[in-house]
Amino acid sequence: MNQPIAHPNRSAGLVELRIPSKAEWVAVARLAVAAVANRLNFSIEDIEDVKLAVAEACTNCIQHAHGSDQIEITCETDSDALTIRVRDYGQGTRPEAIQSRRVDEPRVGGLGVFLIRSLMDAVEYDVHPEHGTNLVMTKKVTA
Amino acid sequence: MHQHADDERWDRQKTREAFARFAEAKKDPGSSEYERLRSELVVAHLNLVRYLAVKFANRGEALDDLIQVGTVGLLKAIDRFDLERGVEFTTYATPTIVGEIKRYFRDKGWAVKVPRRLQELNLAVNRAIEKLSVKMGRSPTVAELAEHLNASEEDILEAQELGQAYNLLSLDTELSGEGDKKSQTLADYIGTTDAGLALLEDKANLERAFEVLTGRERVILYLRFYESVSQTEIAKRLNVSQMHVSRLQQKALEKLRHVLQE
Repeated sequence: MNQPIAHPNRSAGLVELRIPSKAEWVAVARLAVAAVANRLNFSIEDIEDVKLAVAEACTNCIQHAHGSDQIEITCETDSDALTIRVRDYGQGTRPEAIQSRRVDEPRVGGLGVFLIRSLMDAVEYDVHPEHGTNLVMTKKVTA
Repeated sequence: MHQHADDERWDRQKTREAFARFAEAKKDPGSSEYERLRSELVVAHLNLVRYLAVKFANRGEALDDLIQVGTVGLLKAIDRFDLERGVEFTTYATPTIVGEIKRYFRDKGWAVKVPRRLQELNLAVNRAIEKLSVKMGRSPTVAELAEHLNASEEDILEAQELGQAYNLLSLDTELSGEGDKKSQTLADYIGTTDAGLALLEDKANLERAFEVLTGRERVILYLRFYESVSQTEIAKRLNVSQMHVSRLQQKALEKLRHVLQE
């Protein structure tokens, strides 16, 4: 009865998306990752969590982008996990934005990252004043 | 922004001190000092609860309820937090608060209700497309559908894309988790075989097949076969020639046949 059912073979996939670094585009990212997550047999609750995590990551980029006008969202799927990278490239760095950051204490939107951590299985990020923000998060498909 | 960072540093320091005092007071949990410090910490972090609760507010439960269960999570975090861990309280409390909010959704059977709501919205969207197409003589925009159905544009798009596709739940999915009694599963709700079931399946297949049609094709088939409107009358309503209606109807039926045979 409790034998795990073999997952249908969902071949590894790569989905890339670039949106303008503006709040009104975040919904596009949410919808796209929802559609990707749905292909992996995620439960609806997990899909909602992934959407929220991606929205948070995009919002971080928008709030902290150092002049970057695009956000890049990359979804990589394999049979049992979804890995999403959200990044911007700090081209045309705004000097005032750098000054306000404390190098010893990188904050990618502070609370946003805690929230993402509590929604996803693994989160890694780095912030570089010149090269922008790079956040990678993974969610496993729970059987 | 600089000011903001300073405020934050100050807040962190203040929070640490408050927890240090609270740790002392914990030694005498009956004391009024213990109660006072505990509620002080709760009040100081209600903003965190609100911030997090708002993030879940689009999942169909009242914000006030989410704040309330989130506050339960906050209390748990306050009671368990240990300064010696060397992490900030907000880092520690966030997963606890989020966990409590998510548990609330699970207890409400949310994972069962939401796909159903999306499926219903999906059907409502399809009906609205027909209705608005006829009314306006053109295919409606998502914004118009959203306004007509009193939903967000994102909901409309999602219902269209995923309303039919969201994963079907396992029959053993527990509908509610807590308490001693065995929780009910979806399987408990399954009825006996209904004579109309095959018919229902046909209907469901047809509804799914309808999705391959354009708005105009749907309108034509709907008027022709559900409302028994003549081709000439449909042509008049859509402001096209009867020949054109005939061709569109033919094409639409072929598409349906093709999908249903797959």
